[in-house]
Amino acid sequence: MFSHLRLRREPVKVGPDPREMPILRLDASPTLPISIFAINNLSENAKRRLYRTLLPPPLLMRFRISPVSWKDVGDVPRVRLDAAPGSSSVAISILHPADATEPFFLLELADNNINGFELNFISLHDPDGPRFDVDRDAEGNQTHFGTVRRNLAEEEKAMHAGLAPIQLRRNLGAAQLVFDQLELFMAFAAHQAYSLEPLTYAAAWVFERRGFAYVRGHKLMNDIQREFQPGGRLHAALDGSTPFRQPEQWRTVRGRAWAIHDGILETIGLQWDHLRMIKQLGKHAGVETFPDAVY
Amino acid sequence: MRSSSRITLVAEMETLGAFRAFIERTCHAAGITGTTVDDLKLAVDEAAMNVIMHGYADMDPGSLMLELDIGDGQVEVTLTDFGHPFEPYDPGIPDADTLLEDRTPGGFGLHFIYQTMDDVSYRTDEDGNHMVLVKKLGAA
Repeated sequence: MFSHLRLRREPVKVGPDPREMPILRLDASPTLPISIFAINNLSENAKRRLYRTLLPPPLLMRFRISPVSWKDVGDVPRVRLDAAPGSSSVAISILHPADATEPFFLLELADNNINGFELNFISLHDPDGPRFDVDRDAEGNQTHFGTVRRNLAEEEKAMHAGLAPIQLRRNLGAAQLVFDQLELFMAFAAHQAYSLEPLTYAAAWVFERRGFAYVRGHKLMNDIQREFQPGGRLHAALDGSTPFRQPEQWRTVRGRAWAIHDGILETIGLQWDHLRMIKQLGKHAGVETFPDAVY
Repeated sequence: MRSSSRITLVAEMETLGAFRAFIERTCHAAGITGTTVDDLKLAVDEAAMNVIMHGYADMDPGSLMLELDIGDGQVEVTLTDFGHPFEPYDPGIPDADTLLEDRTPGGFGLHFIYQTMDDVSYRTDEDGNHMVLVKKLGAA
């Protein structure tokens, strides 16, 4: 029994140092977490076998791509795996058989500084939907999710087409498959949770519905909910001053997300910054910062 | 019959009232009333307050998850947060001044909780910091 607890300021490592954990030692204990670094140092065929568990077979079959060979019916490889030896991250992407230029699915997973897993990026869109060039400006420069520069004309078109900020195409409607698969990979790798940074309000709301909780930013989400209510300061700031700040936008997740993407939080001294969410394996946190929300 | 319930709210003082109501509601639904419920509310109040005051210090507060697992003649309460972890330590021989050590920055005295709970454990893991409190049903 302990009688006192003292605050610990330094993060606690949740797994062995990836560089000190050769994959061959793993038969010692099936509960020892495996790092991305360790998997990446395996042979190409071995890591391909393991990373195959990141891709939901129904998603691949929907595009007539073999979940085993990763090739389409024309025998053309459609899945790209970037998992270089020595690297602590893996990116896996799927290309549409009719469009070899841009993946419609992209997932990047990495070891983080506490030897856990970080979902750095996930994108899943309908390759048959119209593309909105919100990722580059009129001169072709990258917008970096609208943080460095914005393509306002494309953003406005995307908003009216029903997309959320930073989305290039409409949703594919297969996100649950992907998240279920991700949990399977976590269990395989003996990790009990993974973390991510939601880039937009809409993304945070979606992740809430997928069972994530907040490491940072739960209060911000509550503040946003409160201030968007009639009488709130964000509600008042929806003054029609830009196409992204129209009065009725407080009613929907997407409407709020576009206003926040447009910088409306700054009008009340807040910023969309440094939010962090966590998904515990097999557990739905039940967070709901926008009850009865309309997307 | 075994029952499990969970509520996840922001780690701030206003949440304590919601947690108390949740404990009361969940316990009453399971036929648990009286001192047991009061003890659970007191212990969770104390544990949650420490997380709010210290665990999420200097950061935009994240989530605080309260789970009640009722069955096998006991109530098991798990309080999970994702802020700064705590670690066991020995404060040494107390003197008169350390009677207030519960409220010293970063400290977390557990004697209040030990007075009301039958078992207390704490672990920090990849999926958060977990304080588990066990109250035996029918125990004094």
